[in-house]
Formats: sequence, structure tokens, C-alpha cells
Amino acid sequence: MRRLSWFNATSLSLGFAFLYLPMIILIIYSFNASKLVTVWAGFSTKWYGELFRNEAFLDAAWVTIRVAIMSSTFATILGTMAAYVLVRAGRFYGRTLFSGMIYAPLVMPEVITGLSLLLLFIGIGLDRGVVTIVLAHTTFSMCYVSVVVSSRLVTFDRSLEEAAQDLGCTPMESFRLVTLPIIAPAVLSGWLLAFTLSLDDLVIASFASGPSSTTLPIKIYSAVRLGVSPEINALSTIMIGIVTIGVVTASIMTKRAAVKQMRDEQAAERAGE
Amino acid sequence: MRRFILISVPYAWLLALFLVPFAIVIKISLSDTVIAIPPYAPTLDLAGGWAGIVEFFQGVDFETFEFLTSDDLYWKAYLSSLKIAVIATAITLAVGYPIAYGMTRVAPEWRPTLLMLVILPFWTSFLIRVYAWMGILGQDGLINQALLWLGVIDQPLTILNTPTAVYIGIVYTYLPFMILPIYSALEKLDDSLLEAAEDLGCSRFTAFWLVTWPLSRNGIIAGSFLVFIPTLGEFVIPSLLGGSKTLMIGKVLWEEFFSNRDWPVASAVAVILLLILIIPIILFQRNEQKQREAEG
Amino acid sequence: MAQVAAQKPVFAPWDDPKQAPLIQFKNVTKRFGDFVAIDDMTIDIYEREFFALLGPSGCGKTTMMRMLAGFERPTEGQILLGGQDIDAIPPNKRSVNMMFQSYALFPHLSVWENIAFGLKRQKLPKEQIDERVNEMLRLTRLSKFAKRKPHQISGGQRQRVALARSLARAPKLLLLDEPLGALDKKLRQETQFELMDIQEKTGTTFVIVTHDQEEAMTVASRVAVMDEGVMVQVDTPAKIYEAPNSVYVADFIGDVNIIEGRAKQISDQVNIAWAEGQPSIFKGPFWISHILATYRPTMSGCHQVKPSRRRPLIRGVYRAEISLGKTKCGCHSRQPLASA
Repeated sequence: MRRLSWFNATSLSLGFAFLYLPMIILIIYSFNASKLVTVWAGFSTKWYGELFRNEAFLDAAWVTIRVAIMSSTFATILGTMAAYVLVRAGRFYGRTLFSGMIYAPLVMPEVITGLSLLLLFIGIGLDRGVVTIVLAHTTFSMCYVSVVVSSRLVTFDRSLEEAAQDLGCTPMESFRLVTLPIIAPAVLSGWLLAFTLSLDDLVIASFASGPSSTTLPIKIYSAVRLGVSPEINALSTIMIGIVTIGVVTASIMTKRAAVKQMRDEQAAERAGE
Repeated sequence: MRRFILISVPYAWLLALFLVPFAIVIKISLSDTVIAIPPYAPTLDLAGGWAGIVEFFQGVDFETFEFLTSDDLYWKAYLSSLKIAVIATAITLAVGYPIAYGMTRVAPEWRPTLLMLVILPFWTSFLIRVYAWMGILGQDGLINQALLWLGVIDQPLTILNTPTAVYIGIVYTYLPFMILPIYSALEKLDDSLLEAAEDLGCSRFTAFWLVTWPLSRNGIIAGSFLVFIPTLGEFVIPSLLGGSKTLMIGKVLWEEFFSNRDWPVASAVAVILLLILIIPIILFQRNEQKQREAEG
Repeated sequence: MAQVAAQKPVFAPWDDPKQAPLIQFKNVTKRFGDFVAIDDMTIDIYEREFFALLGPSGCGKTTMMRMLAGFERPTEGQILLGGQDIDAIPPNKRSVNMMFQSYALFPHLSVWENIAFGLKRQKLPKEQIDERVNEMLRLTRLSKFAKRKPHQISGGQRQRVALARSLARAPKLLLLDEPLGALDKKLRQETQFELMDIQEKTGTTFVIVTHDQEEAMTVASRVAVMDEGVMVQVDTPAKIYEAPNSVYVADFIGDVNIIEGRAKQISDQVNIAWAEGQPSIFKGPFWISHILATYRPTMSGCHQVKPSRRRPLIRGVYRAEISLGKTKCGCHSRQPLASA
């Protein structure tokens, strides 16, 4: 192990300061009493109160959450199927096209995805609203889910499935009783990824949404285009807070589980014959 | 039979909602603008049978693409997007590499925490992270306030609504994409390689240059593509931080569609953007594949 | 190698034409693309046998096993189980169970649930499942670990869980893919005897895949030595050891000195002339071909000085002494001593 040189220490502290200072400043200013976002006028939580009285924001938040739950659930089902096909189905007609369609949306500029989906919806005469946003979000986030799940499936010991079949399972049973419980963490993180992608998305939602279905990012975007607003600061703080709690909890739980597993294994080896 | 359902459901979904829409974009890019609903002609009238298809192909032309070459707004926007993407990628690499390198130098028990700190912004809203800079870079933003107070400047600098702000925004939002692949390449690096290099007469710097850098090349390439590709079509950052002076193609497409309602032009802009992107995307895929093969 | 002597001579259904084989491979060929994994194989395996497939990696032994389990289908030929063609029967319907090399224990299920897994698929009543699982736990001495997860027990215990799980459904045939490969040497030897014990108690037919010749010789009633998709020799361990039918088999089984020479039969003995001006070697019935004789280090004593009572068979240059476990002496005399 090499020592941490002064150069490493400096680049780490500057780097993390760069990553976190803007968000910390945003959070601090959300508690600013002044309407002028750049002048500190004492601590206050009034912007949070304003936020919760703002019907338009609350409506948009509700639409966003509904869209995110629906689209991430569909995306998880379709994405897991796609991952299984990619890793397990072997050769079939059109496999190259299939894997191309899985990977392409990951690097596709959002403006193009959004535009093309909108033209489709108009072409088939589908009214833009919650349904179209869910369809659009499902399409691009299923690709992310399938990447997450397939990277887990690649390392999955295939003999577990064979053992299940050997012990009398049909292929469906072996998926339900063995594969799914084991890859569940990857499926769950795929769902969470799809959920956040849907919560965050501005560009595709702007193309796919109608006047009656404004999502929170669209609302935020139209508000901040006019400049910095303390209400948006408050909203951002809440969102950052939720994500931070989620990510920190998840990583602590993962670490605990890993440590426990290691201890169990060591204990078992010591206690072995 | 089960296998058929398993394959065909996601396949059909992607065909209908990914491939068909593209075909429509290409089709509309070959149409002309008209003031109607939908605002382009000809429309493919499948109900008209063969005659409808023939009529459609007679109406198809490359007029929209000719228009794109005649108005210098478009090629300037493409060039400027390319320039911004290249420079921003280089800056992100310069900022991200030392961070990734530093992360592999800390004690192993701290690494997961640092990794989590790099991933955390990734889960927070992109829009909010860009927005955070608006308050910092503005005329009366924190940077100007600090510089004025320190007496470095007398007049507030204009940073927001300039290309500089766009660069800052891109580097900030895409930094995790650069750090993660480089970190995972560097983490695999065996420390004894560096010790061997020094043992064989390298200075610390030459050891880095001859051993660490080449062995982290795959991470650098992957990270650069992950920053470059989405930056090229970026919309949110130039729109919030770049002001009217920064020309980027994602923004042009958005405005053609939403403000000018010129669907054929917006579609043609998308088609050309995609053609530009195909090269880096293929290179990126190939790099990934090579790496997967190397790792067996 | 001393265990070879402890063969049970009574059990030999392959010599009895009245016995019906449990498994029959009839001209089975398996190809993967251009690669021929199994080449026109015909072999019978009998009930209660402990049959070992022995060979280097890539010789086709795992493919044979996977065809029996139903995970691969033969390209040509037939596999019969109890006289019935099993080609169309999927793995989950075969009365064949397999113990996987990696054990393939379900990490999310406890030891008890792992063993009960196959029984639950048979939709047995709960009491019957309980009873059978407990029986299996007793048989493999795992009763006190029933509630643990696979990662909470040691490697040897995991191996026994895998065995118990595959035996729980009382299969006609149990396939064991390198069952002892993941264990360290000491544990492996103990477990070998345990396996033989369990096989005898349950009366199940075992087919074991291994690349460890010592293991195969210890546990098996018959050993099939395989090379590139072909069975080179199928015989009892004693015959394989003492009368290998080819250089390949001789070289694969144990340490061996191979001496080239010309063989001549004199009554029931063979006289091998192997070097000019040297006395011929008289050997007993265990010789292999006309030109090659094998000479096991364990069968001879090595003597640094010429022993007085017996004529030396071969004089050699003393190179090194290698301990081969119970028989102590190994003398490298692969290059005979003409020059010495």
C-alpha cells in the first residue's frame, strides 16, 4: 500500500469540494429568509411552507411519482426479460438488432429519443398525457434495467438453475424459485435506477407530456429559466435529502451484509471438520 | 414457446417504441414543411394502398437537408457542439483522473465511502445540479460576491450565459461518468507493478507515465466516450447556463420543434446528429467489447 | 495405491451376461459445432455400480454426465435408462440426480430447505418430506446444521449437503461431477470412504466424474479411462492398474516407468528384451503390448546396492527418492542404464 501523497490529498479534497459545494450552497440558501437568493437575511423555513402551499408543484409532484412508479415497474419487468434474453437465450433470429436496441438508448441524446417518440404518438393519434410519458420512460429505462440485471446474470452460476431442474423444477419454476430470489438485489437496484431516471427526466417528458400532465422537472425547468428562486431551492433540498438518505442507507446495508457474510464464512471454516 | 414469449415481448416493445419512431423521424426529415396538422407533407397514407406509398415517395426529397446546409446556423451549431464536447471532455478528464487516482491511494476501508460519494450526485436530479450553478455563477452570484469582497475585481464578471458556464456545468454533471471507469481500471492495478518499475530504475513520475497511465487507458477511453456522447446532444446545460450566445445542436433541435414548429427541420437536425454520433458510439462499443474479451 | 488390493471381488455384474444394464450408451456421438466431444460411444453401466469416468479436462467425461442428466442431447445414438430411451425426457422428469462440481447449493435457502427442495417438487405430504430430510441429515451427519445457510458452513459440510440434496429423491442413478474437487487432500480421503459407505447403504448407482486417478481407483467398482471422446479402457481398478491396455492408460494411472523392448511369450510368462547386452526382464501376466512394458514403482523395491538373494530386474541410476505415501520408494530410471 502506497502512502497518500499531498498531491492525492489535494486533488481528492478539491474534487469532492467541487462535487458537493454547489449542492451544499443550494441547501443553505433554501433556509434564507430573503427573497433575494444571494443576500443572506437570517434563517427561515418559510420557503418550505410556501412550497407546500403551491398547488401547481404538488400536482406536478403527484404526476411525477405516479409516472415514476408505473414506468419503473414496467421497465423492470421488460428489462429483466431482456436481460435474460441477452444472457441466456443463445442465438436467435435478429439477436444483433435486439442487443443494439438495448444499448442504443443508453447513449442516444435525449432530444432525439423525445422527438422520435413524440412523432410516433402523434402518428398513431395517441393523446399526450400520463400514458405517453409512462410509455416513453419505460422504453428508455428498461434498457438501463437490462444492463444492470444482465451484469448480475453474467456472474450467476448457471449450475444453480440446472440443479433446480435436476431436482424437478420446470424452467419457469427454476426461474421463480432460484434465479429470481438470487438476482433480486440487482432487479431492485434496476427498479430504483428506473425510478430515479423517471423522476429526473426533463427532456423526454417535455416531448411526451401534454398540457394536463406536467411533471415536476418540467415545472422546475420553467420556473428556473426565469432565474433562481428560493422555492426551487427548498424543493431541491428536499429531493437531495431523500436521495442522500436512500443512497447512504443502501450502502450501509450492503456493507453490513457483506461484513456479516464474511464473518459467517470465516466462522464456518474455523468450525469445520 | 416460453422462449418465444420471453424474446418477443421486449423485442416487440423496442421495435414499436424505439425503432419505428426512428423510421418516422427519418421519414419526416424527408418531408416538406406545410402549415397544417400535422405540419409536414407528404404524409404516408397506408390506407391509400400502393398508390399511397407511391405518392409518398414522389413527394419525398432532400430539400430539408439542403436547407440545413444553406443556413449557416446549423453547421455552426454542429461545429460548436463538437468543439464544446471535445474541450469539455478533455477538462473532465483532467479533473477526473487525479480524483480517481487519489481514490485508489486511500486505505481500502475508505474506498467504498468515497465511491458512494462519487455515485451519490449520479442519483440526484440532473436539473437540480445544473440549477445549483445558476446561483453561484450569476452577476450577483457567490463567485462575484467573493471576488468583489476580496478586491480582485471592481465590476462583477459575466460568467453565467457564457460558454465558460456551459463548460463548468458539463464538467460538474458528467464528472462521475469519468471518475468511475478510470477508478475501476486503476483499482485493478497491482501495486507491485509500480514497485517493480521503480526497482528497475524508474522515477515515480516515469513509473506513472510508463505503467499506470497505459494500464488505465481503457478506463480513460470509456470515461471520455461516456462524457463526449451525451454532451454532444446536451440540452439542459446550454439552455440554463449558456444563454443565447452558446450554440448547441440539442438546443437548436428543441427550438425548431417547440418554437418554430418546423418538424421536418427538427427531424433532419436529429438525423444528422445521429450520423455524427454513430462513429463515437461504434468506437465506444468496440472498446467495451475488447475490454470484456480481455477480461475473459 | 495400496487400497487397490482391497477390492471386493464378488461384485461383477459386467461379467454376468444375465444381468440387464441400468444405463446403455448405444453408439452415442455428441458434437458441439465441429468439436467432437463424444465419439461413437457404446457402454453399459449396471445397477449398484460405482462407475468412475476418469480423464483429463476436455476428454468428454463431463459431457457424458450432462447427457445422462438431460442437460445435453446426443447428436447421434441412444441413451437408455432401464431399457427406456431417455432422449425426450427433460431433466426435471428424469429419475436421475446430479451432484454439481460447484455443489450449486441455493444460497438463499437453508440446509434443510436445500435438501427438501427436490422433495417439495414431488408434491409429497409434509410429514413425508420432514422424515426424508431428517433421514438425509442423519445419513450425512448434518442434523445440527439444518437451519444454517450454505455460506455459514464449511466446505466439507457443503459437500455433504449437496450429496444429501441429490440423494433425497432416491434417484435410480446419481451423477457426481468432481464431488471432491473442492476439498483439501486430507478431507478428500476421508470423504472418499464416506461416499463409498453411503453408496453401499443406499444401493444407488453412482457415476462419478473425476480427473484424480487415485480417487477413481479408490472408490470405483469400474473405471473408464477417457481420452478425446473415446473410452480407452473400461475395467476394474486392479486390472487398469496392473494391465493397462495402452501407454495412455498406463501413463495416466499412477507413476510408471515405461520401458521399451521386445516381448516374447515363454509359457505363461513374458520375456522382454529391452536393451542389448542386458538381461531380459521376466514379468508375470501383467504386460501390455509387444513393445512396451510398464513397471510400477510400487511393485518393486529399489535397492542402492545389489541385493544378494534376488537378481535385479533393472539396474538404474539413483536420482532421487520420492515419497509416494504408503509405499516409500520411487526410483527414477526412465532412462535405462545402458550408459551407466
